[in-house]
Amino acid sequence: MTGSSLINRLIESLRCLPSVGPKSAQRMAYHLLEHNRQGASQLAHDLLEAIEQIGNCEQCRTLSEKTVCDICNNRGRDQSVICVVESPADVQVIEQVAGYRGVYFVLMGHLSPLDGVGPIELGLDILAKKLDAGIITELILATNPTVEGEATAYYIAEMASTRGIKATRIAHGVPIGGELEYVNSTTLSHAFNGRVEL
Amino acid sequence: MMSGPCTALVTAMISSHKVNLELAYILHSRPYRDTSLLVDIFSRTHGRIGAVAKGAKQAKSKFNGLLQPFGLLMLSWSGKGDLMTLTDAEQPQAALDINGSQLISGFYLNELLTRLLQRHDPHQILFDIYHETLCILVKDEHLEAVLRRFEFYLLQETGYGLVLDHDVETGEAIQTEACYCYYIERGPVKIDKTSDQQQGVLINGQTLLAIKDGSLVEALHLKQAKQLMRAVIAHQLGDKPLRSRELAMQKVL
Repeated sequence: MTGSSLINRLIESLRCLPSVGPKSAQRMAYHLLEHNRQGASQLAHDLLEAIEQIGNCEQCRTLSEKTVCDICNNRGRDQSVICVVESPADVQVIEQVAGYRGVYFVLMGHLSPLDGVGPIELGLDILAKKLDAGIITELILATNPTVEGEATAYYIAEMASTRGIKATRIAHGVPIGGELEYVNSTTLSHAFNGRVEL
Repeated sequence: MMSGPCTALVTAMISSHKVNLELAYILHSRPYRDTSLLVDIFSRTHGRIGAVAKGAKQAKSKFNGLLQPFGLLMLSWSGKGDLMTLTDAEQPQAALDINGSQLISGFYLNELLTRLLQRHDPHQILFDIYHETLCILVKDEHLEAVLRRFEFYLLQETGYGLVLDHDVETGEAIQTEACYCYYIERGPVKIDKTSDQQQGVLINGQTLLAIKDGSLVEALHLKQAKQLMRAVIAHQLGDKPLRSRELAMQKVL
C-alpha cells in the first residue's frame, strides 16, 4: 500500500472496466502515472467528452454523438430494410462482415419479463412508428439465439405481420470449421430444421 | 480438537452440498461479472437453487449455449449457503422447440416458480408437472387448461391448495348445479344465484369439480377457473404483479 488515497481511488475507479481486477487496475494506474501521463490526460478528456456528448441515435437507438447516426444518415443505404439487433456491438460485427446495406434498429437488450424488461423499455414504440410510416419493406431479426432473443424476435415479427411487412430471422446452425460431434443437440436440431437444398 | 463422530458429521454435511448430474431446468439467468452467469435452477430433488456458472459466456465454456430456460438438463453443483457453483451441465435430450407465444406462457410458468417457490424446498411432483406442462405447451393444444392444471398443482405443492370438493361452511359436497362464492384462504360457500355477494370469486360447482379432476374443457369453466386462479395467485404474490402476464395481455405495439 502506498498510503496515497488518490492513487487508491484511481485504482478503484479503473476497476469499473470489464475484466479489470485489482491487480490489473493497479498495473494500469502505475503505468499511466509513471510512463504515460499525457496518454492518461487524453483518456480522461476523451472519456468526459464521450460521456457528455454520446447519446442514442433517434432513428435506430445506437450510440452516437449525432442526433442521427452516420449509418441512418447515409443515403446510399437501403432505408427500406431494417436489421434489428440487441446491442451496438452487434451493429459493429454485422458491419464488418455481412456486406449488409440496409439500416439498423438497436434494442439495447431483449424482452425479459422476469427482469422487468418489456416492449417499451426496448424502444419498440419507436420501431412501431417507423413501421407505420410505410417505408419499411423488410425486417431482419438478428436478436441472439437465446430464449429471450427468440421471444423478442417473435414479438417484433408479430408487429410486422399486423402491418403486412415481411420479417425474416437469421439462420442458426453448425459453425463453419466445427465438427458435428461437438455441436450441442439444440443447435444441431435447429440446423436440421433449417437445412437448405443444394 | 474435533472428536471422531463430529468430524464425520461435518464431512457428511460438506459432501451433501455436492450434487451430481441432477435433473433440472433453468428458470432464469442473468449476466454476472464479465463472463459468468447467475442462474436460477429448478432441480427435481433439491428444488430451487441459485448458482453461479463461471465463465459460461465464454466461447469455449462447457456451459456454452446450454444454460437456457425450457431445456431439460442434468446439472452438477457444489457449495454451501444460498449461492452454489455450477460444476457441470449435460443435455440429455434436445431442448424443446418452444417458440412464439409459447415462450410467453413459458416465461409465465418460470416467473410463477421463481416468485412462489422457496429456495432449497424440494418439489418433485411439481417438477414432473412442470416438465409435462412444457411438453404439452409445445404442441399448442389446450393451452388454457394446461396452464390452469399447472397453477392448481403449484398452489397445492406450495401449501396453498384449493378447497374444491366441499362447501367450507356446511361441509356438504360440491353440487354440480349449484353456484358458489370462493373466499380466498377459506374456500367455496354455496350462494343463492340472486344474492350479490362479491367478496370472493363467483364460480359454478361444475367448474370447481372440473378443476379438481383436471377436466376443464368448456369455455365458461375455463373462464371461471382463470378468474379463480388469478385471484388466488395474486393474493399469494402480494403487491408486485407478474410481468410476464402483463406482456401476454398487452396488445402488440
